[in-house]
Amino acid sequence: MQRESGSGENIPKVSSRSIWKKWELSPTVSNISSLVIDDLCDGPCSEEIAIAMFYCDFRDQREQTTTNIVGAILKQLVVRGEVLEHVQEAFKKAKKEVGSRGLRLPDMVQMLKQAVTTLPRVFICIDALDECPPQHLSGLLVSLRDTLHESPGARIFFTGRPQVQAEIEKRFTGSVIVPISPKVHDIERYLEKKLEMDTESDAMSDALRADILRVIPQRISGMCVVESLVLISCIILD
Amino acid sequence: MSTTYQHSVLIGNDNVNCNNVANYRDNTFNLNNIIADENPEIMKWLSPLDPRGRHHDVRTDRIDGVGNWLLETNEFRKWRSYEGGADRAVLFCSGNPGVGKTYLR
Repeated sequence: MQRESGSGENIPKVSSRSIWKKWELSPTVSNISSLVIDDLCDGPCSEEIAIAMFYCDFRDQREQTTTNIVGAILKQLVVRGEVLEHVQEAFKKAKKEVGSRGLRLPDMVQMLKQAVTTLPRVFICIDALDECPPQHLSGLLVSLRDTLHESPGARIFFTGRPQVQAEIEKRFTGSVIVPISPKVHDIERYLEKKLEMDTESDAMSDALRADILRVIPQRISGMCVVESLVLISCIILD
Repeated sequence: MSTTYQHSVLIGNDNVNCNNVANYRDNTFNLNNIIADENPEIMKWLSPLDPRGRHHDVRTDRIDGVGNWLLETNEFRKWRSYEGGADRAVLFCSGNPGVGKTYLR
């Protein structure tokens, strides 16, 4: 195998029988988000709770404008038997206008505020905020902040890379930060599952499998994901 | 039809019980279809995006038991139970996302 000069010099030589696996090793923030959303859905049934979610995705940046994201949150909160009256009225009014024109962000935010304030408890979960298009991030955060200010029953959950932390803290004073990094138990559980589902399980001996489960969780706990990927590749090739 | 969706969103109102939550979790796509059937024009007008469909995909691929530690943290518990009031309304989980899918070569 031809390598570029200076790259991968510490990686053992690869024989034709070697297997090379790259696994995403951390509980990604999207996984965390879905876990939180499901936990909220499974929560105590003693009171009314509404949950709205959104997963930002850099692959869908064209569609994920501030207005569309706020609208996506809103449409999860407006159906109470039937669509809330103020939304129905706005829709009818828009239809009457030439070209049935679309909504502007201020109109959307106003409708969101009205929808949220009528609910005793609302959880809004936004995943991978860093994947929100940069030109729409500020608008989204300000829209949510304004909604929050008028809704004491609202809670917002964000995930994202550390670089969006400053943006969040700027808009939401008092926001609570929880760092997410791979934990030993998470990595063990993940590896067990990956090994269990491995389509080439015969290519790996029991000893190597045991080594992977023993060594990797300790080595990569707390590392960033990119480092984790490199390390697991090296160990499996060794 | 719309009543079913109401139960999927509002947990614990009137005649709703925990079974409805399970119903919601197992039928995200179906419930989205119900919304679309009931109010397609309004829903499309509000947004073309489908966050519940995305949630369904993510949770389907999730490995059980991974990340559960977060749910046990004081920060999450307080946020979830509304401790701290409006000053603690926002929780941010900061971390590097995964950079690739599983693949072999």
